[in-house]
Amino acid sequence: MRRMSPVTWVAQHTLLAALLVLFAAPVLFVALTSFMTNDQALTATLWPNPWSVEAYVEAFERVPLLRWFANSALYAVLATAFMLLSSVPAAYALARIRFRGANVIFVAVVVAMLLPPQITAVPLYVMWVKAGMTGTLLPLILPNLLGDAFSIFLLRQFFLTIPREYSDAARVDGASEWGILWRVIIPMARPGIAAAALFLFFNSWNDFYGPLLYTSENQEWWPVAYGLATFRGSHSTNWSLTMAITMLVMIPVVLIFFFAQRVFVEGITLTGVKG
Amino acid sequence: MKRSIAAIAAVSAVSLLAACSGPSNQEIDPTAPAHLEGTVSLWHFFSDREADVIQSVVDDFEKANPDVTVDVHSGQDDEKLQKAISAGNNVDVGISYSTDIVGAFCSSGAFRDLGPYIERDGVDLSQFSDTTASYTQFEGTRCALPVLADAYGLYVNDDLLAAAGYDHAPKTLEELEEMALKMTTYNPDGSIKVLGFNPLMGYYENTPTNWALTVGATWLKDDGTSNIGSDPAWAEVLQWQKAFVDKIGYDKLQAFSAGMGQEFSADNAFQTGAIAMQFDGEYRTAFIADQAPDLNYETAPIPTLAAHSDRYGGGYVTGNIGGIAKGSKNPELAWALLKYLTTDTAAVVKLSNGLKNAPTTKDALASPDLEVSPQFQTFLDIVANPNSMTTPPSKVGAGYQQAMGDYWNKWQQGDGGDLTDGLAGVDKAINDSLSLVEGP
Amino acid sequence: MTAVSELRPGLRRSQRRRRLTAYGMLAPALLGLVIFFVYPLIASVVFSFTRYDLLSDPQWIGLRNYEYLFTQDPKVWIAAGNTLWFVLLLVPVRIVTALLVAMLLASARRASGFWRTAFYLPALVPPVASVVAFVFLFNPGTGPVNTILRFFGVQGPLWFNDPALAKPSLLLLGIWVLGDIMIIFLAALLDVPREQYEAAELDGANGVQRFRYVTLPNIVPVLVFALVTGVIAALQYFTEAAVASAVASGKATVGEGAGQTIGYPDDALLTYTQWIYVRGFSNFQLGYASALAVLLFVVAALFLVLLLRRVKAFTPEEAQG
Repeated sequence: MRRMSPVTWVAQHTLLAALLVLFAAPVLFVALTSFMTNDQALTATLWPNPWSVEAYVEAFERVPLLRWFANSALYAVLATAFMLLSSVPAAYALARIRFRGANVIFVAVVVAMLLPPQITAVPLYVMWVKAGMTGTLLPLILPNLLGDAFSIFLLRQFFLTIPREYSDAARVDGASEWGILWRVIIPMARPGIAAAALFLFFNSWNDFYGPLLYTSENQEWWPVAYGLATFRGSHSTNWSLTMAITMLVMIPVVLIFFFAQRVFVEGITLTGVKG
Repeated sequence: MKRSIAAIAAVSAVSLLAACSGPSNQEIDPTAPAHLEGTVSLWHFFSDREADVIQSVVDDFEKANPDVTVDVHSGQDDEKLQKAISAGNNVDVGISYSTDIVGAFCSSGAFRDLGPYIERDGVDLSQFSDTTASYTQFEGTRCALPVLADAYGLYVNDDLLAAAGYDHAPKTLEELEEMALKMTTYNPDGSIKVLGFNPLMGYYENTPTNWALTVGATWLKDDGTSNIGSDPAWAEVLQWQKAFVDKIGYDKLQAFSAGMGQEFSADNAFQTGAIAMQFDGEYRTAFIADQAPDLNYETAPIPTLAAHSDRYGGGYVTGNIGGIAKGSKNPELAWALLKYLTTDTAAVVKLSNGLKNAPTTKDALASPDLEVSPQFQTFLDIVANPNSMTTPPSKVGAGYQQAMGDYWNKWQQGDGGDLTDGLAGVDKAINDSLSLVEGP
Repeated sequence: MTAVSELRPGLRRSQRRRRLTAYGMLAPALLGLVIFFVYPLIASVVFSFTRYDLLSDPQWIGLRNYEYLFTQDPKVWIAAGNTLWFVLLLVPVRIVTALLVAMLLASARRASGFWRTAFYLPALVPPVASVVAFVFLFNPGTGPVNTILRFFGVQGPLWFNDPALAKPSLLLLGIWVLGDIMIIFLAALLDVPREQYEAAELDGANGVQRFRYVTLPNIVPVLVFALVTGVIAALQYFTEAAVASAVASGKATVGEGAGQTIGYPDDALLTYTQWIYVRGFSNFQLGYASALAVLLFVVAALFLVLLLRRVKAFTPEEAQG
């Protein structure tokens, strides 16, 4: 192992610390501004004086924040649950069952995952209009019942890493493929399944384009990411208020990350490195 | 789900080849219902304070019709309104902020033909001014009624005016320019502190529609194609405007404008005194009363270029419009609500007093209940002035105004090239997009 | 294969059963692929030959939409140019900066725990929130960035309000959220067998040479992965630009709708997918929007055909192994 000279150590850590300040600064300034009064936020000062939670109180009064959060949660939780129901078996079939057509289906999944969603936006929008479901989050939630390409891909990558011996042993014991999936693969693939679930959860939570397209005309169904984006449009230069809401949007995501950090990092790594 | 797919298949397979089916002439009952009951939905674009005003009039309607419930959806801009109507959401009455959608909504049938209702109930259309009556119909189909009018004029901060040694609002652009330059002050670093008049196209209400009034420039030919390149007035105002911008400096103005408060907030630069004069609508009087009650200001018609001073006295007139959505499940109720909002004198006066928009019916204008401040009176005069102009409805909506605005924006930065060629380019862009939506 | 099956009918039966099970497991996903991918792909092409506003029935107008797209649309090439800008600059800049940070973390032996989390966290912030935050940070009037610059006597630029700087400002945002690919690079760097470095060092290789001959070959697969997914993401760049425009313009979308602020300032942030949105869902020219979508499909598909095979994770071979 190479030994590091003290000079290199100091240089590297100084650089890292400087970078860290740069990376932390945006959140720091957002947080500071959110604790300013409206009047102060309109001036070019950086430090709250006095500290005030006025913006947070006002945030809940001015916009239906709780409703937005509830909508986001509903969207993210249902989408994730539906995705797991439909995508785990699909990923298993693609990873572990040898059958004719598997390659074609896998390539179709990858292509569906990679092509920009705007390509298919018009016909899908028309379809949801005819189904009478625009103005709600259903067009964004229901498709997950029929599989999500990225999740299928990610789950398949994870299932591939589970040694075949386990499922072969179960097969010798007479287990069906469904049985192997349920009793062998799912218990062993929990981290991967959790990662896929988290990804979809965050994607739904953060989604802006979908709600813009499907629920913009119905405030009842606005999720928080869309609400935040439209907020400043109608409420002007009130930066402390905007920053308070921005903080409130960030916090749940960061909290979830801290509880599920390991799963998350493993999942990300898996998409690119393994397989 | 299955049903929707079948529907798509049908749409794709059959109706792609079907000829254009215009708005159908729906049958209506020969007499208006004696008693109204049920639920009717009203979609409008107002928010916050203005939404409360609408709600108060809606409450009156519900009081007068105890068996009727109005389901109000506020904050619905044109994009959302069109999405909702197209999707067959439960929209009965829709109110748009501008006349731009009339062309598209009348011709596509998004708003129903009001003709049969108007005829049956004997609604007197002559109670609306010619301008407001004209911008609520398209190619002979009346699919909307005016819900108050917006008139645009010039706002002047009297304190800044007096400080610069003037006692009246400018009547010509030349005068405006001279006064504005005198009112403009700078910070030590050279940046603008107070701006007399912001000449930048695109700033707040510095829209091509307002600039058009300064020279009486016209938009469209009778056949709906662009008249911009053929109307020499446009070049006059563009040249004057660019020269003014260059006197202060585009970059300086841009930096100043970027730091200004949002138009419909209390930080509006005119309300904070950062701008001494600006084009704006009559509704600004209500914002000032609410957000900057101590502001000392006056209002005037839009100034003209000296060569067009015979046109002085007018302003840009447009307005909110209301119609009955295609998919309305209770059109009689929708019609009753729309009729109430647009022709009931008490309702129109109440809306006008609350929103500080110009009333659109003669009775409301004559009503003693109408609250008129001197600043607001200017706009009532503008609405009545024959020199006032509006923007014609088109199938491309506001597309022709955007095309002009896009070129103008390049032009004021010095990237517009030859002006004649540039305006011919605007013509082409408008006519191309018109032919895209109109067909060969 | 066939010969084997004929010899052993039992195997063939089990094969058939396995295939049935597989398709059973895949049934919902296959249905989803057909309804939400194959069908709309075909329908987009069909719609692209029509005029359609959702209110009246679609009308067949042949190639008119494409004629307009290629010869008359005043903004489509501006939009395509902006998207290309993001593909050509955002993607490589993010990859390079993420790699540098990952290498720094790896060589400082800070590849886990606090440091890794600190650099990864911004990537988790919901994009809408991070854009709103950045527009605030860089707002010319009261933004902390210009306030700090002023402290040093520098007159800060207009950032998101300047057509020339709006895209570079989003580039800065792209760097701030580099965590997503940085994590992948970090894992790949840690996977490089240490013996290879030691061998290189024995051969007298300097730092640059070690990177060139040991690190790089080992992380090529991840780099290609980051490149392909980055380009795909840049092709559909929408949320960041749309929200930045809406927030920076400071305009109330009183009555016009979202389409009105898209592109601000001066179409500098008008990307191709936003143009599809404006034409399709703001102007309700769904036929024309479909033509725009078909062009995007052709470009994206060409790109995928060229590069997909180079990403091991995207190729199916191993499933059969």
